[in-house]
Amino acid sequence: MKFRTETLIIGGGATGVGILRDLALRGIPSLLIEKGDFASGASGRNHGLLHSGGRYAVSDPEAARECIAENRILRKIARHCIEETDGFFVSLPEDGLDFRDRFLRACEEAEIPTSLLARDEALVLEPELNPDLLSAVKVPDGAIDPFTLILENARDAEEHGAKILLHTEITSLILDGDEVKGARGKDVIRGEEHTFEASYIVNATGAWANQFLRRAGLRIGIALSKGSMLITNQRLNHRVINHCRPPSDGDIVVPNHTVSILGTTSVRSEDVEDFEVTSQEVDLLIRQTSRMIPALREARLIRAYAGIRPLFMSEEKGDDRAISRGFVLIDHEERDRMKNLITITGGKLSSYRLMAEKTADLICKKMGRDTPCSTHLKPLPGANRPTGLKERLKRFSVDGGEVLCDCELVQRKEVEEFLGKEKLSDFQDILRRTRLAKGTCQGGFCVYRLFGMLHDLGMIERDSNKKLKAFLEERWKGIRPIAWGTALKEEELIESIYKGIFNL
Amino acid sequence: MHYDVIVIGMGLSGLMAAKTAVEAGKKVLIIGKGMGSLCLFSNTIDVLGKVPDGIEMNEGLSRWISGHPNHPYSKIGIEKIEEALSSFISLFPPPYSFQTVDNKNCLLPTGAGTLRPTYLIPTTMVGGISLPKENTLIVGFRGFKDFYAHHVADQLKCRGISLQLPYDSFRELSASALARLMERESFRETIGTEIKKQLHGETHVGFPAILGIHNSVQVKDGLEKITGATVYEIPILPPSIPGKRIFDRFKEWLIQKGVTFLLGNSVSNSILKGRRCEGIEVFRPPLISSYSADRYILATGRFVGGGLKANDERIFEPIFNLPLPQPESREGWFRKSFFSDLFHPIYQAGILTDSSFRPVDERGDHMLENVWVPGTILAHHHAIDEKSKEGIEIATGYAATIYALGT
Repeated sequence: MKFRTETLIIGGGATGVGILRDLALRGIPSLLIEKGDFASGASGRNHGLLHSGGRYAVSDPEAARECIAENRILRKIARHCIEETDGFFVSLPEDGLDFRDRFLRACEEAEIPTSLLARDEALVLEPELNPDLLSAVKVPDGAIDPFTLILENARDAEEHGAKILLHTEITSLILDGDEVKGARGKDVIRGEEHTFEASYIVNATGAWANQFLRRAGLRIGIALSKGSMLITNQRLNHRVINHCRPPSDGDIVVPNHTVSILGTTSVRSEDVEDFEVTSQEVDLLIRQTSRMIPALREARLIRAYAGIRPLFMSEEKGDDRAISRGFVLIDHEERDRMKNLITITGGKLSSYRLMAEKTADLICKKMGRDTPCSTHLKPLPGANRPTGLKERLKRFSVDGGEVLCDCELVQRKEVEEFLGKEKLSDFQDILRRTRLAKGTCQGGFCVYRLFGMLHDLGMIERDSNKKLKAFLEERWKGIRPIAWGTALKEEELIESIYKGIFNL
Repeated sequence: MHYDVIVIGMGLSGLMAAKTAVEAGKKVLIIGKGMGSLCLFSNTIDVLGKVPDGIEMNEGLSRWISGHPNHPYSKIGIEKIEEALSSFISLFPPPYSFQTVDNKNCLLPTGAGTLRPTYLIPTTMVGGISLPKENTLIVGFRGFKDFYAHHVADQLKCRGISLQLPYDSFRELSASALARLMERESFRETIGTEIKKQLHGETHVGFPAILGIHNSVQVKDGLEKITGATVYEIPILPPSIPGKRIFDRFKEWLIQKGVTFLLGNSVSNSILKGRRCEGIEVFRPPLISSYSADRYILATGRFVGGGLKANDERIFEPIFNLPLPQPESREGWFRKSFFSDLFHPIYQAGILTDSSFRPVDERGDHMLENVWVPGTILAHHHAIDEKSKEGIEIATGYAATIYALGT
């Protein structure tokens, strides 16, 4: 098919979808294409932290200011995607109090509100904390659900006239001398080929930025840094728990729904697609985070995962943590004399809206328009929807059909609703849109049931066991690094079912 | 209380050990924290799925034994394996009996629509063997989430239907609830009549394995009478109702023979004196009870059964802390690919024994003189890949007890 649009956005992560909504609200027609599903890169593979900016206050004051400003905005426009947990920066005996005092001053400068809690006060609020802690500084950290955030941005953009093509990849760029005129692409599931004509192309591919730019013969200085995380079977903390020391491995535990997420590491990576969590990383994360919450040493883990952060290098530095987590917006006309091409990369989930705003501002400037940004004012469509456990339980109804996922209480009806609402091309898309397979068994039971249901509805090809095996193979990547204790028992159970009973 | 034999573990190997001991006239106590993996995975009796097509099991086992000198089967030998299987079969007189197809493996359909090789099959599954597939109708139930007729039928290239249950109040049903319903004649009548209406010339009807817990042959016969088709059961996700039938039969028989049956208790500690076990302790808060015997059979299974445990550094055996060969580090336990053609190295971890199933260390020195170890906790087998789980459990449970009583 042939598409003609004003702005073509490549990449369905938080940034791309944020730009799509921003432009749509300004009345600029745009089209987004994504080679997988929404949030399949770093946007969906992080610890789901809504930064207060505290983590960057000492090392990167500019990023810290951005964070706290965006934090305040997101609490208004995306209330339903956020749990306002607050966060602690915990000082342990080995840390001393020098860094904490610098931290307090830096937060004040960046206008991040803090309050200092003594050991006993902190322990009353977070009983699992290391009882030897010296003090805790409270900051407005929070937990954010990236997937809902991105879906809601996409939904609102579409309501304002934007178009989205998922599972569509760019095959080449249409170049005319020093001008980019559009791109050619392909639906990776159906094989259909498309041509996109656009006045502007935005490269919002995150870690894939250079892979995309190669098609225009360009390259920018970004480093790929793998961050690994672990998920526990229980939620051990109510607030985000940070280690009050210079940024380092394993210095954060984020509460998320019914679990806690331990993060993170920072390892240089060469490959954007093929990476794994090593046992050294797992051991390191447990060793470090259990200094803050000792129960993590014995906690049952249900999964390990990693994401690739694109870090912009303004200059060569040895440690990736010294590279700014701020974002970079490149007008390739200025940098490389390649007209109509813009790259936005780096940054973090918490600042996705600001990144989108700056990108849309640049496009408006190029177009000679002065429509202002309104994404900081207009709440996302679902923002007034009540949230919380009570709401979830209300949705859980007697006529919702069988509970497909016993760990996360996902009923058949909920899945059927998604199937009806969106044209989902892949069962993985269903997994991203529901809590299915996010619980203790990690899809060991419920994905088999999902396949069964898709067969009932005639929505999957007859020979689906290959896909079932592929899912179990993918699931294994997250289980293998943490397979001991109860998780190992679970693994023997799953192996006995699929290789044993089912002879797959 | 003092016994002749204490069996720890109520999976198939422990039950076989208790049977063998009580048949020799011994006073037996069997302790289990649960019903073992029997009620999770066992539907039929796998002996060795790796036997090539068309080869009889005896021949297959002989070849296997000569190629795998350390395998548990090789410690037992063909003759005793046969005795063990006969002993098992004798516990299941008709109607619910176990049989082979010409002493060879046969292929049975599964809940994923695949076929799997197995050896001894119960009466209720016989109808599913080597079907011309288009002759079969697969039946599932709305509200029963562990079996999907269309999934199975699509893979097997036959027809599937999903039946609405006659009772509106049953929105979700477990395997055991459905199995109990099937035991009601009126329920069968409704289901059977509906199926008969929907048959389009199919001669066979495949159900998930939920055709009654206690009188499943009667359930099967009843459905056959109404539908006029051959009815058979298909193994599905855990829990396994056919596994429960096996467990219930053993339990009934063992109790009748005077075996003391202690279900729901796990052994927390062993009392050792030199190389002898002098007793075991069962912790039932707030009390600790002790039991002693002349001989102990450790049949606690692998990780699911609780016979083996693992922390982030090593794998261990929690009751006697028996030595356990294993890969050097955690990183080496599993391969990168879940469905790797090569087995995961963690299966090297298992208890080493001498030829009479007494535990030894890596040098072959005896650890305990009055403890014998049968079942999947043993080293040198890969039961899941070999499709040998129940065979190993039955044969080693029997043989280890014979050796134990012979000393």
